[in-house]
Amino acid sequence: MSDEQQNPPRNNPIDLNKPEQPVGPRSGFGPTTPPPFQQPPPFGQFGGMGGQQNLPNATVALVLGILALPACCFYGIFGLIFGIIAWALGGSDIKKYQLNPTMYTESSYKNAKAGKICGMIATILSLLFIIFFVLIIAGAITHPEAYDRFFKGFN
Amino acid sequence: MILQQPSFFDWLGRNLLACPFKTYFGFDCPGCGLQRSIISLMKGDLIVSFKYYPATIPLILLIIFTGLHLKFDFKFGASAIKFAFLGIAVIVLISYIYKIYNHQLTA
Repeated sequence: MSDEQQNPPRNNPIDLNKPEQPVGPRSGFGPTTPPPFQQPPPFGQFGGMGGQQNLPNATVALVLGILALPACCFYGIFGLIFGIIAWALGGSDIKKYQLNPTMYTESSYKNAKAGKICGMIATILSLLFIIFFVLIIAGAITHPEAYDRFFKGFN
Repeated sequence: MILQQPSFFDWLGRNLLACPFKTYFGFDCPGCGLQRSIISLMKGDLIVSFKYYPATIPLILLIIFTGLHLKFDFKFGASAIKFAFLGIAVIVLISYIYKIYNHQLTA
């Protein structure tokens, strides 16, 4: 069995040459082994001409993840938005890198991981603050006297 | 130029963005003090800046380091950014709890 039969290249224009390739029996193999990564990158495809390229969203994820921390003003909403965007962009880039690691640079993968983790931390922190704010607001509405006794009000 | 600078900082200090949470509920949000802290830093008052918002100086250093890392691609830059970010998040959290507990609750 050749390497290509085990691991059909996805979205590969070469696939068009043999459209009658049977797919049915291969899907019944049960838990297959993870796809081998030693196959060469798909040359001739977009950007794959030998040189490695940066992951598309790694820098954006990193910058947004860092900016999410000072953006925790305004009820934590901006921090939450930035953090979730950085988390999602970093996560999608990590997946993209793991699909074919030879196509992208290692440093941009590290940046994407850092951006994902920064976004995660900022999201968790913003969520904590938002929960805290909701509790405070609920307390201020339901027990105004206790609120005035507990916090120094407008001064 | 020397005569102009204090008036510029005065103008900046009079025109800060008001925190909506502080306006409505009377005590600080986790980002309160950041603008005052940055203005103190621009004046050169490191200690006052730290007292207003302890995370400002590390945050600015982190942003500068991130810019340098994205430009020059340091080897351990990404993990350094990760740990620095975690440290700054902890600083923000602890300083906020300290500030609320010591200055904004009536004992």
